[in-house]
Amino acid sequence: MIAKVSSAVLVGVEPREVSVEARAFGSKEVFALAGLPDASVREAKHRVRSALAQANTHVSQTIVVHLGPADLPKRGSAFDLSIALAVLGALDRQAAVPPVVAVGELAMDGAVLATNGALAAALVARDRGLPCLLPPEMAAQAACVSGVDLIPVRTLVEAHAVALGRAAPPPVPEPVGFAEDCADRSAQDCADMSDVRGQALARRALEIAAAGGHHLLLSGPPGCGKTMLARRLSGLLPPLSEDEALEVACVWSAADRWRNPGSRPPFRAPHHSASMAAVLGGGSGIPIPGELSLAHRGVLFLDELGEYPSNLLDSFRQPIEQGSITIARKGATVTYPASCQVVAATNPCPCGYLGDRIKQCRCAEAGVAKYRQRLSGPLLDRFDLRVTVARPERLDGPTGESSAVIRERVVAARELQRDRGRLNRELPGGELDDLAIAGEARRLLRLAVDRGLVTGRGYDRSRRVARTIADLSGCETVEAEHVAEAMSLRGEAA
Amino acid sequence: MNHDLVRLAHTGSNPDMLRRLVAESGWSGAVRRLRSSSKTSAAVKAGLDIDSEARLEHLSGIGVELIADGDDRYPPALSGLPDRPLWLFVRGRIPSAVGVAVVGSRRGTRYGLELARAFGSQIAGAGWPVISGLAAGIDTAAHSGAVDVGGDTMAVLGSGIDVWYPRRNRVLGEAILAGGGAVISEFPPGTTPDSWRFPARNRIISGLAGVVIVVEAAVRSGALITARLALEHGRSVMAVPGDLSRETSVGANLLIRDGAHPLTELHALIEELELVMGQAPATRLPQGGSDGDHESLLGLLGPISIPIDELAASAGVSIDRLLADLAHLELSGLVMVEGGAVRSCM
Repeated sequence: MIAKVSSAVLVGVEPREVSVEARAFGSKEVFALAGLPDASVREAKHRVRSALAQANTHVSQTIVVHLGPADLPKRGSAFDLSIALAVLGALDRQAAVPPVVAVGELAMDGAVLATNGALAAALVARDRGLPCLLPPEMAAQAACVSGVDLIPVRTLVEAHAVALGRAAPPPVPEPVGFAEDCADRSAQDCADMSDVRGQALARRALEIAAAGGHHLLLSGPPGCGKTMLARRLSGLLPPLSEDEALEVACVWSAADRWRNPGSRPPFRAPHHSASMAAVLGGGSGIPIPGELSLAHRGVLFLDELGEYPSNLLDSFRQPIEQGSITIARKGATVTYPASCQVVAATNPCPCGYLGDRIKQCRCAEAGVAKYRQRLSGPLLDRFDLRVTVARPERLDGPTGESSAVIRERVVAARELQRDRGRLNRELPGGELDDLAIAGEARRLLRLAVDRGLVTGRGYDRSRRVARTIADLSGCETVEAEHVAEAMSLRGEAA
Repeated sequence: MNHDLVRLAHTGSNPDMLRRLVAESGWSGAVRRLRSSSKTSAAVKAGLDIDSEARLEHLSGIGVELIADGDDRYPPALSGLPDRPLWLFVRGRIPSAVGVAVVGSRRGTRYGLELARAFGSQIAGAGWPVISGLAAGIDTAAHSGAVDVGGDTMAVLGSGIDVWYPRRNRVLGEAILAGGGAVISEFPPGTTPDSWRFPARNRIISGLAGVVIVVEAAVRSGALITARLALEHGRSVMAVPGDLSRETSVGANLLIRDGAHPLTELHALIEELELVMGQAPATRLPQGGSDGDHESLLGLLGPISIPIDELAASAGVSIDRLLADLAHLELSGLVMVEGGAVRSCM
């Protein structure tokens, strides 16, 4: 007979049900696996056979297990439990296993071990209205998906008994705490704005960037604090909603990484030597997401922007604008979300001291021109805010507000944007023309364009930023003072 | 004589030797003697054999005059010098007043560049022509300062008069000419900017100036050569004292040790210059712009830029307010915001 158990896999960020069907027949001892298993899935037969032996079930028949859909490549050890349960069902005609979703790796002794894929299983179980069997660690992770009957199981025997209703399900463990904010973050990413001394201009720029989701370019000499400031941006962003957090967790899960949905928006800082695939996503079989997608709904930090290969920078542009990236591979074509806020840091020249008040620049002229050229044009246009961070004169300047205080203002400003339907960063030219903008503010902008202080592109950027500044001060109309401040933050090459 | 002059100007031979020849035999005599001498090199002969007619036409076509020593238009400041150039290729109008040279490193610090620019504005505003070499760095800043206030300035090139070096200074050079200044060179058109020509150029800079001001210069630098030549020419040398730790301060500091006049106050430059040069020709001192709303903010700003953060602290205003004010002031052309710092544009 044929027994069927469900399992789950993420295709991109879409949870997909995998039906695990097993058939036992004849008397030849064969174990066959179908459905595009990779090497790790193929080895499941050894683990399953051993675990079954521990449960006193010795297989002496021909077993065929099929993982459907047949054309979807499968990888990893998460299918072990479902395969074992399906085989048990196929062998025992008296006890048909009811429909369940099961995930988990099997040890040789029949213990169920945690793997990736807790979210996929929970989401499939929720959508199909099935109970979900999984090891306790994964149950704790999956607990953030509400409305699922999670059944933590420690061994194959226990799983089989619970599935058949012969044993009471053990209690669901505490979900992984939403409060453990810093669990998956290095201490640096958690750093607070209250540690920043002085830097009033950069502080203001960070607040505006956080409020409007604007891409931010920080430039300045080495050691002036660009990196330190950039790392604090994700702490200023509003906390993710439950849906957003799940979405982010799914992306991370697709990269085989667990991310606590309760934590703050992600902060990713790929090094400039990172490969195209590491940044954009890729790999064989089902492509896994890259840094761009891991930073979804968070911050992508590009330190030393000029050091990144230009083809990499070029390939960022379109996904960041579009908020998603589609990766096509032989195994599958998937689309990962990639709606992130870019913060980049750059030196003004290769040595870093061009325009410094005290130190002299040692770069050859051609070197400076080449360095600038790499940062010019279409890429630079994406940065609404460009701020020069000066080297602090004193290191003992006054400390400022904490991230929490700034975040409150950011949250309020974002609320106004949500009511209008989109982030200010995403305001297209057409909508900018319909902006509620005071007559005097309009005159000021016109004057700036006429005097050549603001270019056509700078005009749009100034208006977007001005809208955010108005949102921060709770104004419905963009006033002249907002436009003026935005113009001061437009950067030199406006 | 013009034809002989244009021939000699293209030989590129030793000016001291030519000066002697010309003094002994006149222009055409010098050409004859060079032609007949067996020691004359092929390069010099090529210069002597150029089509002088066509060359003169070409020069006037590109707006260049060739002015010989002794001509009425030859700068009087140079006439008395033993090593004066025998001729000058000139574009624009050579100012009649004696100038003030501002020279320094090609790699100035931001402070040095802003200071040189402010000096350029003040000197030109007082009616003295600003003399410099149109090189990168301090030279550029000094010329720009003079151009900013619409004053006289003269650039002495170390290359041919039609060769801009650095190339991007073509814009500045044209602005100097448009503003009624002059670009001059001793070298024939097309001469490349080779480093060995710069000391020769520097003697013209110091010769044209009554005072040479050195802003930021390393020990081995063109600016220091100019200062040394200035002493030989009997000109005064002033220097801006600098940070002991920086390479480009050492030269200027050494000059002060050796007796150059130290410039110690930002706003006393004109008085210091008047002690040497006499009454400034113009009282057209740069007028500080005014803006009723931002008077107190403008009061805090000078020609040397202040980081925005610091300005916010000293003005006691919030950063958002300050940024908005600065945008207004920048629009009125009263301040310049660059690299996170602000200076006044006066």
